[in-house]
Amino acid sequence: MNSLAMAGKPTEVLELRGVTKRFGGITACKDLTFHIREGQIMGLIGPNGAGKTTAFNLITGVYGVTEGSIIYNDQIINGKRPDQIVRIGIARTFQNIRLFKNLSVLDNVCIAVDCHETYLLGAACLRLGNVRKREKAIQEQAMEYLAAVGLEDRASVRANSMPYGYQRKLEIARALALKPKLLLLDEPAAGMNPEESLELAKLIRILHERFRLTTLLIEHHMDVVMSLCEKIYVMNFGVKLAEGSAEEIQSDPEVLRAYLGEGYKRAEHP
Amino acid sequence: MFTQTLLTGLAIGGIYALMAVGYSLVFSILNFSNFAYGSIIMLGAYIGYYAMVRMGMPIGLAIAVSIVGSGLLCWLNERLAYAPLRKRKASSLFFMISAMGTSIFLENLVYATIGARFYNFPELFAKSNLEFRGISIGVLDVFAMVFSFVAIYGLNLFLQKSRTGIAIRAASYDIEVCSLNGVNIAALIGLVFGLAGALAGISGMFLGMKYIVYPTMGWITNKAYIAAVIGGLGSLPGAVVGGVLLGVLETFVSAYVSSVVRDVFSFSLLVLLLMVMPTGLFGRFLEEKV
Amino acid sequence: MTQYLSGILSLGLIYVIATVGLAVFTGFTGLFSLGHAAFFAIGAYTAAILTYFYGVNFYLALAAAGVMSGLVGFLIGYPTLKAKLRTDYFAIATLGFGEATRVLLENLSITQGARGLPGITNYTTLPVIIVIAALVIWVAWNFVHSRHGRAAIAIREDFVAAEMMGVNIFIGRLRSLIFSAACGGIAGGLFAHYFCFIQPSMFTAYMSTQLTAAVVAGGMGSISGPVMAALIFIGVPELLRVANIWRLVAYGLLLVLIMIFRPQGLLGYREISLSGIRDFFARFRKGARS
Repeated sequence: MNSLAMAGKPTEVLELRGVTKRFGGITACKDLTFHIREGQIMGLIGPNGAGKTTAFNLITGVYGVTEGSIIYNDQIINGKRPDQIVRIGIARTFQNIRLFKNLSVLDNVCIAVDCHETYLLGAACLRLGNVRKREKAIQEQAMEYLAAVGLEDRASVRANSMPYGYQRKLEIARALALKPKLLLLDEPAAGMNPEESLELAKLIRILHERFRLTTLLIEHHMDVVMSLCEKIYVMNFGVKLAEGSAEEIQSDPEVLRAYLGEGYKRAEHP
Repeated sequence: MFTQTLLTGLAIGGIYALMAVGYSLVFSILNFSNFAYGSIIMLGAYIGYYAMVRMGMPIGLAIAVSIVGSGLLCWLNERLAYAPLRKRKASSLFFMISAMGTSIFLENLVYATIGARFYNFPELFAKSNLEFRGISIGVLDVFAMVFSFVAIYGLNLFLQKSRTGIAIRAASYDIEVCSLNGVNIAALIGLVFGLAGALAGISGMFLGMKYIVYPTMGWITNKAYIAAVIGGLGSLPGAVVGGVLLGVLETFVSAYVSSVVRDVFSFSLLVLLLMVMPTGLFGRFLEEKV
Repeated sequence: MTQYLSGILSLGLIYVIATVGLAVFTGFTGLFSLGHAAFFAIGAYTAAILTYFYGVNFYLALAAAGVMSGLVGFLIGYPTLKAKLRTDYFAIATLGFGEATRVLLENLSITQGARGLPGITNYTTLPVIIVIAALVIWVAWNFVHSRHGRAAIAIREDFVAAEMMGVNIFIGRLRSLIFSAACGGIAGGLFAHYFCFIQPSMFTAYMSTQLTAAVVAGGMGSISGPVMAALIFIGVPELLRVANIWRLVAYGLLLVLIMIFRPQGLLGYREISLSGIRDFFARFRKGARS
């Protein structure tokens, strides 16, 4: 395939086709169908319990899908293990921060850098060949990712001793270190005030461009979502509520009802 | 022969089920393996022995003393070895280590003080058998089987019908939500350990009568863990099914193959089952919440 | 006197080798093995049978002991770790494995059953032990400080997040288990040729307990901590001539107390380093002055 053809037809990095997940009798996600084009930032929004994080868990293989298929770069990925999915280029952060708490900030990122490292166990145990050199390279790379999110001077600090906002940034650095093509961010601005969250939005934009990512973002801060996302997919009670550009979503009556309740009109026009 | 083996298997299976239920009960509420449970069973046997043989109590009273004594020990075990960890919200790994420590401590304390001597219960009805159409079964076995199932049934009734029982079941789903709803969790957990201890007292008593009383009765109390895992940790019906299944299958292996391979068999059964059903027969949904 | 001290050191270092192995597994992946003595036993029997019946060279036999135990570790680990069992399930599976191994050793003809193997040649001398222990510690150190070690740590800290970092949990755990089993096997081989007599009853819970206690007391996620703890646990009671049984009572109590007061152990998640020792003394002096 030549590059002209590529440019003519934007490639879909990720596509969900009728994805459904049931836990016993509860349907967490029903018939999710959407796709993300290369280089897009797409927002996944909806009230709490709408099934957004479940969608992330399905994409990253933490849960198996009940029905439907998830396609990444023309390859069906549902049924693969999470670690296999990471290796083909999908990384994520967690809503409820999941750092390796007792390890240093640097080690947290090193574990992610290791993902594409190849030296073998035997060589490692006997310190053969270039293991020492490889280890140094891993640390240097990890430092670069820390620098990308502005945490380079905290490398030796224990991860859970940092303030909340920094822990979220470390999660992003760790995800970037996996060299993903598709990055899934699960409420990266949770618990931040409006200023901090807009600053984070800027950082996400910069990283998105610098690392040539395709980004899928779950977020409750609407200013972050509206400033970043070209396309937004709204979920409620596990099903799609609306899909479209930021403007379309902001004026969609269904969305307003889900977010503000039935009485939103009265509230707007007292 | 077949019916005979089946009956013997059910008798031992009843005791396994009793032990597995006690162990699973603790697991269901605190989500860790209480490896000290085997030692509590062992102490239950000693208490029963002392009450009956040294103090000359009748068997009913001795069983009662054993139940109360083991219940208190199990409760004390929680207060001393687990409650401090619970307050710190320690991970289940630490609970498990603490439980292992307790088990090692108790078992060897008995060795060091009482000694490694074997004690035999008086042969009240150990040797007497019921004969029926060529099938013979020990009175003790019948008694143990009936008593075990009655105890399990009683526990089930308590958990299903009483207010406290419902609180225990609620706590086994979500201990924090349960405490937010005004349940005194510390008291509830104490009660659960007390109940588990009571079951340990009964099973210790029967094991002691069926076999002998000595410090490392562990080889048999380990079966409680294996049975509970087969049934699915934290599931009480699972523990009963696991216990009975293990008891019956083991007896069949002993009878038809060889008693030597019995323990190898239970282990292989465990591993094979876990390969097919990683959460045991009745295990709860184990997909981790992310 | 020197002979007495060298005896204690030899035994201590043999335990150090097995402890380092267990530290790599339990301390770095967070999974508990309650049957680690089985790997020790398998190594001891493999090496002893090879030199005793087949006249194989001692060092080859030692290597074979490591390989054999590692292989058994693989066979046990493959089904149990594949299913991503909870820590409790795995611990119980290893408990069963330990028992099953002992039963097999007691009943095979090549192991001469419960009578054991007397008259093994005394090849294990102190210099041999020192060299092998140093080698094992060095290799273990390199292992845990490589990407493979980091993967194991990641699994222990948060296995969901680890998986999301591209770590294959199954492989990560299995690798640590095989390594750990092989260390146990080598220690067993040395043990057999040190005491010149082995029998199945030597490899019971006593041994598994001692190993686990050393790892927990020394500190999870550390190599140097467990090494020191293993030496202390063997050395101090030997020097004080404490009866074996009271040692175990103390180990049990120690495990509980550590979990309550210092769950990170002697050196949790840290290693002894020159700068660390300097800092410690600096603080110590400062504390003395103020």
